[in-house]
Amino acid sequence: MARYGMVIDLKRCIGCYGCQIACKAENFTPPGITWALVLKNEQGSFPAVRRLSLPMLCMHCAEPACEKVCPSGATVKEEDGTVTVDYETCIGCRYCMVACPYGSRYFNDRELNYYGDQRTPYEEVGADPPEGWESKPRRARCTGRVEKCDLCSHRREQELEPACVANCMAKARYFGDLDDPYSEVSRLVREKGGFQLNPELGTDPSVYYLPV
Amino acid sequence: MKEGVWEDVWIPSACSICYNQCGILVHRVNGVVVKIEGNPESPLGLGRLCPKGLSGIMMLYDPHRLNVPLKRTNPEKGIGVDPGWVEISWDEALEIITGKLKKVREEDPRKLIMTGCIPSMWPLTFAMATFMPAFGSSNVFFSDGHQCGNAEHLLAGTLHGALTTNPDLEHCDYLIMFGCHCGTAAYYAFTTMAQRMADARARGMKLVVVDPMMNAAGEKADEWLPIRPGTDGALALAMLNVLLNETGIYDREYLREHTNGPYLIGPDGHYVRSGENGKPLVWDESRGAAGTCEEVESHQNAIEGAYTVGGVECRPAFQLLKDHVQNYTPEWAEKITTIPAQVTRRIAREFGEAASVGSTITIDGVQLPSRPASLVYFKGSHGHNHAWLTSLAIELLCEVVGASNVPGGLMGASPVCYGHPETELPRWVPKAGPDGLLTPGIWIGATEPGYSVKPYPAVEPQAPQSYNLMDLLPTALSSHLAVLTMPRGEEFKIPYKPEVLLNYGANSLMSIGNPETTADALRELFVISFNLWLDETTDFADIVLPDTSYLERLDPSPNLHIHHFPVGMGDWGWQIRQPVVEPIGQRRHFCEVLMDLSERLGMLDAHHALINHYYGLQGEHTLKPDEKYSWEEIGDHIYKYYFGPGHGLDWFKKNGVIKWPKNVKEAFWKPFIEARVPIYFEWMKEFGEKVDSIVKENALPWPEEGDFQALPDWKPCAALESEDEEYDMQAVYYRVAWHSFSMTYQNPWLAEISEKMDPYSYFISVNTTTAKEKGIESGDQIWVESKDAGKVRGLAVLVEGIHPQVVGIANNGGHWSPNLPIAKGKGVFFEALMPLDLKKTDPVTITMDCDARVKIYKDASGEKWQDTAWSST
Repeated sequence: MARYGMVIDLKRCIGCYGCQIACKAENFTPPGITWALVLKNEQGSFPAVRRLSLPMLCMHCAEPACEKVCPSGATVKEEDGTVTVDYETCIGCRYCMVACPYGSRYFNDRELNYYGDQRTPYEEVGADPPEGWESKPRRARCTGRVEKCDLCSHRREQELEPACVANCMAKARYFGDLDDPYSEVSRLVREKGGFQLNPELGTDPSVYYLPV
Repeated sequence: MKEGVWEDVWIPSACSICYNQCGILVHRVNGVVVKIEGNPESPLGLGRLCPKGLSGIMMLYDPHRLNVPLKRTNPEKGIGVDPGWVEISWDEALEIITGKLKKVREEDPRKLIMTGCIPSMWPLTFAMATFMPAFGSSNVFFSDGHQCGNAEHLLAGTLHGALTTNPDLEHCDYLIMFGCHCGTAAYYAFTTMAQRMADARARGMKLVVVDPMMNAAGEKADEWLPIRPGTDGALALAMLNVLLNETGIYDREYLREHTNGPYLIGPDGHYVRSGENGKPLVWDESRGAAGTCEEVESHQNAIEGAYTVGGVECRPAFQLLKDHVQNYTPEWAEKITTIPAQVTRRIAREFGEAASVGSTITIDGVQLPSRPASLVYFKGSHGHNHAWLTSLAIELLCEVVGASNVPGGLMGASPVCYGHPETELPRWVPKAGPDGLLTPGIWIGATEPGYSVKPYPAVEPQAPQSYNLMDLLPTALSSHLAVLTMPRGEEFKIPYKPEVLLNYGANSLMSIGNPETTADALRELFVISFNLWLDETTDFADIVLPDTSYLERLDPSPNLHIHHFPVGMGDWGWQIRQPVVEPIGQRRHFCEVLMDLSERLGMLDAHHALINHYYGLQGEHTLKPDEKYSWEEIGDHIYKYYFGPGHGLDWFKKNGVIKWPKNVKEAFWKPFIEARVPIYFEWMKEFGEKVDSIVKENALPWPEEGDFQALPDWKPCAALESEDEEYDMQAVYYRVAWHSFSMTYQNPWLAEISEKMDPYSYFISVNTTTAKEKGIESGDQIWVESKDAGKVRGLAVLVEGIHPQVVGIANNGGHWSPNLPIAKGKGVFFEALMPLDLKKTDPVTITMDCDARVKIYKDASGEKWQDTAWSST
């Protein structure tokens, strides 16, 4: 048993969207679908202003609101603490999208390519990976399903960190087991005042943030 | 039947979507690129990439890329005029080009002009430093006018022995960033510096950001100082005054030993020189007499006081600086910068105290001065008229506290390199030039002067022979000016007319300034254009050739030896850029085509000689005059020369990068190199007088601004000089981490960030209060109208994080070419606001003045803004 999660250090994050593109490149997500993304806003008024970047992804909640409403049983909280969608089982009803307080789920409604009708060789591979490719990502390969971040399960199987963590230029993202009190993520949450987004909703996210 | 996996490989190479050329690993499965990651072995990026680097797959496979050579059939040239392209063979294309070039070379080779785009830095430099001189032309210009760091390069060269600078973030405790995004969105060695910046901030380094707009840098700042654009020099002068005259914080020992601070200056502004050997004199405090630096112990040099030597009243250069800045009070600066005097005073004091003058640190067993206070500055601060004076004022902040090329301070990028342990190559070391002042050991990738002269000693100015005017102003280390001068050769007394333009992928119409001015320059030329796409500028081409992208070509020295490398400790490295897929369609590598052209032109011998010269190739490694080499063989020659027979092309293809650790004396060279740096640019005044007399003699239309000064002052840039109240704002551009120059707008992954995520970069940022006063709300369609150039249209976004008098626009938006469907109609064409005008040019360094005096108003036309996104009137 484990509870895989992530810690994102907002002091280190430079809001560059590298996580968004690292995720996209790794997981072949189509236009409009960004399993990882960054929200921006500003607070205060001139000249006492702060601008904030908030990287978002599936929070892999311990009490996932999405799982509770999933009628097909496609959304499951795994033994390792990650929340996954079985794309064979998903019926695309999108209840989970309504239930998720973090907007982390995407309905793949139709076949879309980044250059319109012209699918790039890269997108071809994503749509139809060669048989037996060990490290291929587990993205939904058909439309009409809901999809989201799975903390790069295919990379974890190869003992690699999720793509967004491995690439982060500011080294603002940490991946690990929140159930292990000695893990780096647990230590960071404890020592640096890690917080969850909207804890009052009771979903108990496994993504923690460190203050700016 | 489904195909199995017959290939699954990772190939080391180097990125080229911006000038930083970071190390990459490219994942190829069954012949298809499926992922680009950072190469953990490369000192450039250390295994992590920016969003641009990650998105190169989309550039490689963009179906809108050029695949075949094209010839123009419509003789009429204009913006948006269909050239009537017809496909031709490579052979036919090269025949036509050879014919044109042969004619020009016989008549006057200088009639060939060249330009190119900065992200493809290595092939561009290869062409400018080898092909062009072999051909016989020094007519090169850069098409990144408003992005290039001319003034910073001159200071980097003269004070740091390098092309560029960066702060030593591993040891810095207090960093002031003037108008740039070091480690936060762009700037040199960005991917590595981003890691170091986050580490430094987590460690507790205080970051002060001086910027009219709160962008990525301001977001990470402990303190954001929204300054009025074009006034950073005033702030720096006031800070210097606080340090030198109010708090007395300066590094006497450093100034005595490592600068020309003790050199005695006479009433004429020049050094007081020894009657015997002509060397500058200093005042020996112990003997109470003057002597040369060789005669006087450094610690006895006077840097303050007034003396009489041989009847001449003189003061040490440092005393002159100290006196010079006395009138620049924080209260004076407040009126100009809008930054409260008390803040300027506090920041200056904090900076000075953080520098910990007198402290030391031991690194790898070597005791060094420790000066953990630094600064970094770029286009936002110096991209104005008077760029030289502004940059000098800023740089002097570090010089007076000794925070220069020692731990924690401001560092030149790679000025000292003793080479790989096996070969002691590459090797360059700055040394003392005339008057004991620092002269760089390497310059733009060449240890010997190539197409560009070293910054010191300055080359004698002469009447313009080149359209870039860099022979009139050798203090300018790059120039965009040819787009302005080409139609006006007679005015500039240039004794020939340009005929052929060789364009390596630059989208000059969109990347310099007013596109109509650039169009006028291109219209009369025969334009040969190597391109990835048919962009806006190719509307003016006669022949278009399909270029390879960085993922389809071999570049043996992507980093121009070791330029744009992270400063401070770490590893040296030399990378390879290699094709990760075969060139798609009929695309060909620009450099290979150049070699082909050299052969067709019968100048292969000269070209080989220039390659030998540029790379310093010696002995068996030199290219023989008339032997034909493949591009791979040339790469192999270069690698084996620098790294020995065991490290040829094959080794590099397999390993990607050769690296070895920097030693302390390379990283922090200041205490070990006996060369002083000028805090008083004595030679500048005389140099300027020569320029002025050439200007007068030839009646050249060059502005006489009197900026060739030994010490800095603040003078208003054109936008601040205007008293036209109707145009009540200044427009400035800013950079984001996910776009470099104009080409990234065509990348759909990056476009998606700006379109769907980032709330600012495709909009026009206006301060909320200012906007509301003008009746503008977020989402309103507005015009930004420049007083001196055109106007641009877009949607407003109201923000608090911008100076109330400033309009902020991300660079290089607003493409209109139908051949760039991803880019088309997105972002705002800031560049159209900038007139290409000599009055908007720094007269010392040819830095472009990058802010425009504007007015903004709601557009009630009801049209879609993209229908007319800009207008030149």
